[in-house]
Amino acid sequence: MTYWVRVGTPVIDCASPYPMNFPADLRYTEDHEWAKVEGNRARVGITDYAQDALGDVVYVQLPAMGTQVETKGPLGEVESTKSVSDIYAPLAGRVVEVNASLDDHPELINSDPYGEGWICVIEFDDLEHADGLMDASAYERLVSAE
Amino acid sequence: MVGFGGWEMPLSYPHGTLAEHMVCRKEAAAFDVSHLGTVRVEGPGSFERLQGALCNDLGRVAPGRAQYTQLLDEGDGSVVDDIIVWWVDEQAFDVMPNASNTDAVLAAIGGQDTTDTRAVIAIQGPLARSVVERVCPEAAAVRRFGVARFMWQGSPCLAAGTGYTGEDGVECAVPASVAGEFWEAMLDAGAQPAGLGARDTLRLEAGLPLHGHELGPGISPLQAGLGWVVGWDKPAFRGKEALIAERARGVTRILRGLVAQGRQPLRAEQEVLLDGREAGRITSGNYSPVLGRGIALALLDPAIGTGTSVSVAGRGREIAAKVTALPFVKAGTAAS
Repeated sequence: MTYWVRVGTPVIDCASPYPMNFPADLRYTEDHEWAKVEGNRARVGITDYAQDALGDVVYVQLPAMGTQVETKGPLGEVESTKSVSDIYAPLAGRVVEVNASLDDHPELINSDPYGEGWICVIEFDDLEHADGLMDASAYERLVSAE
Repeated sequence: MVGFGGWEMPLSYPHGTLAEHMVCRKEAAAFDVSHLGTVRVEGPGSFERLQGALCNDLGRVAPGRAQYTQLLDEGDGSVVDDIIVWWVDEQAFDVMPNASNTDAVLAAIGGQDTTDTRAVIAIQGPLARSVVERVCPEAAAVRRFGVARFMWQGSPCLAAGTGYTGEDGVECAVPASVAGEFWEAMLDAGAQPAGLGARDTLRLEAGLPLHGHELGPGISPLQAGLGWVVGWDKPAFRGKEALIAERARGVTRILRGLVAQGRQPLRAEQEVLLDGREAGRITSGNYSPVLGRGIALALLDPAIGTGTSVSVAGRGREIAAKVTALPFVKAGTAAS
C-alpha cells in the first residue's frame, strides 16, 4: 500500500463534505499555516484545509520553548494515520508558548484548528516579518486552485 | 479517493479513519474490497494444478472451505503473492490474489479472471454476523473460513468467513449488477462504511502481513513467521527446494511486532536499532487506535526476542519501542 506519503505541504486529495472556514482576522501561508498577530506575538496553527487534507491527526511534534525560528523554517510536525507533514514558521521569532494539550489530544487540530488546536506562539521583534502572509481571501483563492 | 492498483478507492468516509477503525473493533464495518482479484479455476485437474503451484496444502481443507496460501518464487522461495482460495465446489476454486498481482497469479495457475463480474463486500466486526443476518441469513451462517453459496434477490452469490481486520466477519462476492444495492442493504442493516485507511490500521493491529511490505521479493514465508502456511509434506510446490534450504540454514531475519512508548506513529522503512546498532527495518507502521501508541511490523535479527527494548530512528529523533508478540490486538477484545 503506497498511500503513506511524506508531504511538505498537505496535497492529498480531499473532497471535503463541509465548507472550509478561513477566518478573516488571520493571516495565512502557502504551506497552510495560519498566524494571528497581536502586538509582537503571533499565535500559529494549521488551517482547516490542512487538517482536512491530513485526516485524523494522531501525533504532534511541538517546537521546544525558546526555539528561535526562521520564516518558513521548520517548526514541528503533524502526523495523521496517512501522512507526516512538516509545519513551517509563518514568521521569524522565538517560541514563547506551546499548546501542550496536543500531546494527549492531537485530535484538537481536526476539531478546532483555529481555536483549541493552536500549535504555538511566536514572539517577534519586527512586524515586517508578517508582510509576506496572505489575507483570508488570497488564501481561499490559493486553496480553491489546488 | 485515491488510486490503488488501478482502482479508485476511498481512503476514508466522512467520519474518518480512527472512527471507522473503532467501529470495526466494537460494532460492524463494511469494506468494498472489490479490488481484490478473483481467478476462477475449475474443471478436472484443478485441485492438482493449485496444489503444485501454491505453497499451502489444500488437502488440509475440503470443498466449502477457504484457505490462506501463497505463490512463491521458484528460485528463492520469496512471496510472489499471498492469496485466499475459496474452495467453492469439488472442482471449482475462486483464487483471490492482491489487486496488482492478479496477472502474475493467472500466469502461474491459469484459469479465468472474473474480477470484473463481481463485487466483494466485507462486513467485519463483533456485530458483523448480526448485520449480515438481516440482509441474507444464509451468508451470516457461514463458518469461520467456510465458503457457502447463497441467493440474494435472485442473484447467485458467495459468502466466506474470511477477512483482513482481525475481527470475525463475512466476505460476500455478489454480481457486479447488484453490488450497489447489496452495499446499501448492508449499511441499512447497521454496518458503517470504512475505507482503505482503516483497513490498513486494522490489519496492522491484527499483525496481518501486506504484500509489498511484509511479503514480497526477497521475503519468504519463513521470514514472515508464516511457516504454518507451508505444506511441507506435499510432494512438490513452486519454491519448495529454496524454502527447505532456508529452513535448514535458518532465517537471517524474522517478522516481529514493535510497540512504541508513546503515541508517535512508527513508519515503514525506519531503521530499528539495538544498543545503537542496526538490528532491522520496519515494514509497516502507524498509530494503533486501540492501544493509543505507535506500532509496527519489522523484519529483525532473529536473535532479538520478545520484550527487548529497541529504538527506532525516525527523522532525526529516536523513538523508544519494545519488541512484542503478535497480534497487537486480539479479536473481540476492544469491544468490551
